[in-house]
Amino acid sequence: MDDEEIKKNADFLVSYLSGKEIPGSVKLSVRYRTLVDFAKVYGITNPKYIGSEEEGIVACHAFANNFTIKALYKLLLGMKVVQEGKERPFLLNPGKLLHAGQKYDWDGCVDAKPGDRLEITAKWGKAWVVEKNMIFFADLHVEVKNQNGEMVVKPTVTAAIRPGGY
Amino acid sequence: MVKVSDINVGQVIKNKFDGITRELLREYAKASGDTNPIHTSDEIAIKAGLKGIIAHGLFSFGFITKLFEDFLEHGSFGKLSEIAVDMRGMVRCGDLLVTEGKVTKIEGKRVFFDVTQKTFTNIDIKDTNGNLIKQFEAGERGYISEKDIEQGLVKTKQVPEGILSYRERVATPGNAVIELFE
Repeated sequence: MDDEEIKKNADFLVSYLSGKEIPGSVKLSVRYRTLVDFAKVYGITNPKYIGSEEEGIVACHAFANNFTIKALYKLLLGMKVVQEGKERPFLLNPGKLLHAGQKYDWDGCVDAKPGDRLEITAKWGKAWVVEKNMIFFADLHVEVKNQNGEMVVKPTVTAAIRPGGY
Repeated sequence: MVKVSDINVGQVIKNKFDGITRELLREYAKASGDTNPIHTSDEIAIKAGLKGIIAHGLFSFGFITKLFEDFLEHGSFGKLSEIAVDMRGMVRCGDLLVTEGKVTKIEGKRVFFDVTQKTFTNIDIKDTNGNLIKQFEAGERGYISEKDIEQGLVKTKQVPEGILSYRERVATPGNAVIELFE
């Protein structure tokens, strides 16, 4: 991809994405074994997060990474944009996608637990390009709710895509 | 017990982790569902221009949440309200990860922190004549950039085997808010 095409695509995405909802949602089940395996990566030993299934556990805060990333990939990899009348994938090369920033807001949220069925939706926020290296950035505001409609976490992901990837 | 009255502006909490390996990143990939191969396959990471695998951005982020979970004794003394970070520097296998939270403000029962996650990346060890004694992955694969050198991020220190060159940089700056019960 030449510099002219990279610039054209970047300009298009900056104006196209801001405020746009990503169609659809991602539904995920929270499994006991996944919660435990995840916590163990960080050397977490507290039974609140890795105790027995019978006594009940909750997800450690970092587990929000799990459903955020799964949702991000599913939503972004499946996302299409219409540029100059033609539909194309939003991500031209997923290998060029980087994670530039992350925010989690847990205020007023409930814990994720084994057996939960989560529904994840997302909407684009600000989008911009750093012209020096033509890396494209965009904020993605995500909402994660459980089967009772309770908010589990409100993540904001800042995605960065290197030239050739958008 | 952690209470608001026990906390002071300027107080620092910290954790360190020096166990980042390819195996751990594979475990994280499986547990997190982030299976992007740039985090698990050197071959694919090299093709993507990264010179070798990089840790998942959110992998190191997990040590920030752990810092506050440990401080709050897993919800016994309060809850984690918010964390926001920029992921500025790639984290790689062999890096020492040092995570710090510094109290900047206290409002009622809410405590605000600046968060800094630094990586310490060993490059090589040389003798006093400049002869190479040992080279680490960062030295072998060229992870250290000219920009790192220009910015003064590459430093040296004496170690038992010789003079160690290493890069110290802030990989993940950000902030966090916790809310204590008392």
